[in-house]
Amino acid sequence: MTRAVRLFLTLALAGMIGIGAAQTEINVISFSQGFAFPDLFTDGGTAKSERLLAFEQENDIVVNIEWGDESSVRQKVLTDLISGTGRYDVILLGTDGAVQTFGYAGYLEPLNAYLESGDYDAWFDLEDIYPSVLEANTVEGNIYGMSYYAFGPGMIYRQDIFDRYGVEVPRTMEEFELAMAGLQAGLEADDIDDVYPLTMRAGPGEEPSLDLTGFVYGYAGYPAWFEGGADTVEEIKAENARPDFTGAFRDGFEAFVNLAREYGPPGIATHTWVDMMNLYSQGKAVVLFPSAINGYAAITSTELQDVIDGSAFAPTPVGPSGEAIQSFWSFSFGINAASDAKDDAMKVLALLTGQEALQAFADMTVWPAAPYASVMRSETLIDRYGEAEVLLNEQAMLESETHYFPYIPELSDFMFQIGTAASQAVSTGDVDRALADLQRWAEETMTAAGYYND
Amino acid sequence: MRRFQRFLKFPSTFLAPAILVLASIVLFPTIYLLYLSLRHWVITRPNQYFSGFANYRLVLSSGSFWDSAFTTLVFLGSTVLATLVLGTALAVALNRSFPGRGVVRALVVLPLLIPPIVAGFTWRFLLNREIGMLGSWMLPAIGLDASMLANPDLAMVSIVIADVWSRTSFMFLILIAALQGVPGSLYEAARIDGASTWQEFLFITLPLLVPAMLVGVIFRAIEAVNTFDLIYVMTQGGPGTATQTLSIYGWRTAFTSFDIGRGAAIAVVMVVFAIFATTLLSRRVLR
Repeated sequence: MTRAVRLFLTLALAGMIGIGAAQTEINVISFSQGFAFPDLFTDGGTAKSERLLAFEQENDIVVNIEWGDESSVRQKVLTDLISGTGRYDVILLGTDGAVQTFGYAGYLEPLNAYLESGDYDAWFDLEDIYPSVLEANTVEGNIYGMSYYAFGPGMIYRQDIFDRYGVEVPRTMEEFELAMAGLQAGLEADDIDDVYPLTMRAGPGEEPSLDLTGFVYGYAGYPAWFEGGADTVEEIKAENARPDFTGAFRDGFEAFVNLAREYGPPGIATHTWVDMMNLYSQGKAVVLFPSAINGYAAITSTELQDVIDGSAFAPTPVGPSGEAIQSFWSFSFGINAASDAKDDAMKVLALLTGQEALQAFADMTVWPAAPYASVMRSETLIDRYGEAEVLLNEQAMLESETHYFPYIPELSDFMFQIGTAASQAVSTGDVDRALADLQRWAEETMTAAGYYND
Repeated sequence: MRRFQRFLKFPSTFLAPAILVLASIVLFPTIYLLYLSLRHWVITRPNQYFSGFANYRLVLSSGSFWDSAFTTLVFLGSTVLATLVLGTALAVALNRSFPGRGVVRALVVLPLLIPPIVAGFTWRFLLNREIGMLGSWMLPAIGLDASMLANPDLAMVSIVIADVWSRTSFMFLILIAALQGVPGSLYEAARIDGASTWQEFLFITLPLLVPAMLVGVIFRAIEAVNTFDLIYVMTQGGPGTATQTLSIYGWRTAFTSFDIGRGAAIAVVMVVFAIFATTLLSRRVLR
């Protein structure tokens, strides 16, 4: 090898290293491969789109995405956060515990400074984002996540079956129970035993909690988990508020359990959102409630014309307190506080959750679950559902009480235990036992966490 | 040269790299697990500190732990016994010559090739009360109208059935290998003495199979204690906590309660339990 060749190779290698060093790699973790980010990842989520490649070139960033199923993604995020490695820069977060638990623990980077800097105005129009969506991603004034999609409470129901049995759309929980009884009587009279009046989720784990605690809110009128309705760390400590799952909490819990047992499918104690969606899409359920998004997922994936044509949306009924039954969730993304490239991670976060990406998602899924008013009112959704139904969905988002459960560091754990208690009560019918176990666990947990001085 | 020969006399020198690799992938995680189990580390709280045996005290005084230990024992006992009985029956039946024996043996071994997570999903769909072939059609046809997975008692039966379906072939393979080592002359002698088929099985086959059975039981017991994926995909430990074994309980403690120290302590207790049980059984084999 001549000296000239050696020199050339050395320079080439140095150049390559130089180019490599200039590019920042941002690692993203998400679920819904081939479904989420249709404008950025094509071929089932395995290839980068022209839009993403142009973004990478413009910003000297390489975006790596790791896909997985929801459960494993949640666990990978947790493992990465607690180990502090910063392996993932942009992480998936749910607003039913992850935002709160990780936010309080300091594992997430607050986004306020970025959003207030003006640098991201082209990506995020905060006036366009529904306030409830921002609230759900906010803990103690810090915004920790930006939503990719979000949904408020609602009822997807078979208008054709309601009409057949002369059942009116319920506006209160009392009317809801009457409607369920009417549907059941009608189905029985027609000798139909494989269609159930209601589908909800009551599998063990955090699954049912999002809906069940929405029942509790509708029945009590406040997040009735702690004495006096305390729902923040400060309030719980200041008022020495103990967990109380046998008081006002019980009414909503019991209503959920009774409805599930009386009008739901036999396997409901193990059902997740996938099961409730599948049942509805197969025409085996008349009402899907209160997480209407799963009904829309069913309607847009079924091939049964009766289900597509016969389905309608209605707001959730109000409970005895006068407040509506709640269910709110946001599929959000945040920045790992241990990331060593937070500024670039924010750019990627903007790309992933900016208005353009959300419109692409709405165009593909045709789900009225957009965090942005402009996307919710877009042609795609109006054409599919009509303006009236889209506006009802918007109303559900606007009127959502996102703090219908306490915002405390232990929220994820509470959601898991409450859901498991619901599964236990639905399968055994023993509400007393399930709530007594839950009460004991909650007292031990809150005491161990140092909330109480005495 | 002499120095090199002296070097060769020390086998430990050659074993050292392998021991180092083994130590790094086995010893390190084990020691780290022990270390974690002695620390207070709940990720929602800021402080991490050495807490001695506090996690063990918490675990061993928890009703949930003992409930899960009992559930584990029920699962372990049921699945090990069922796979032992079925594996033995299949091994004895398929040890005889008949046309198509190879095909039948291959079919029996097939479930072993299917990952437990896939087996779990398959059984979950089969037993689904609303849409499953078994749960919504065949079982109601014979009068079993309950939802297998949503009923606290039947859920355990369901996961045992799925596990037995998945792992019986493992026991079968061990036992059929052992059966092929039994000398045919023993059976010939027994027949000359007028022994019936049942007596041949009872007094020749069974005693000679016992060591292999114990090996199979040890492996199956360890596997049953550690079973996570199959239960997770079928019931997630539910309904409620009806099928919450120690492995599911440990996972919940670490990954949903975020109590890493206590989760580690549960894992250590499980290891101790597994070592104790297998040592007991191993001694029986060696004897």
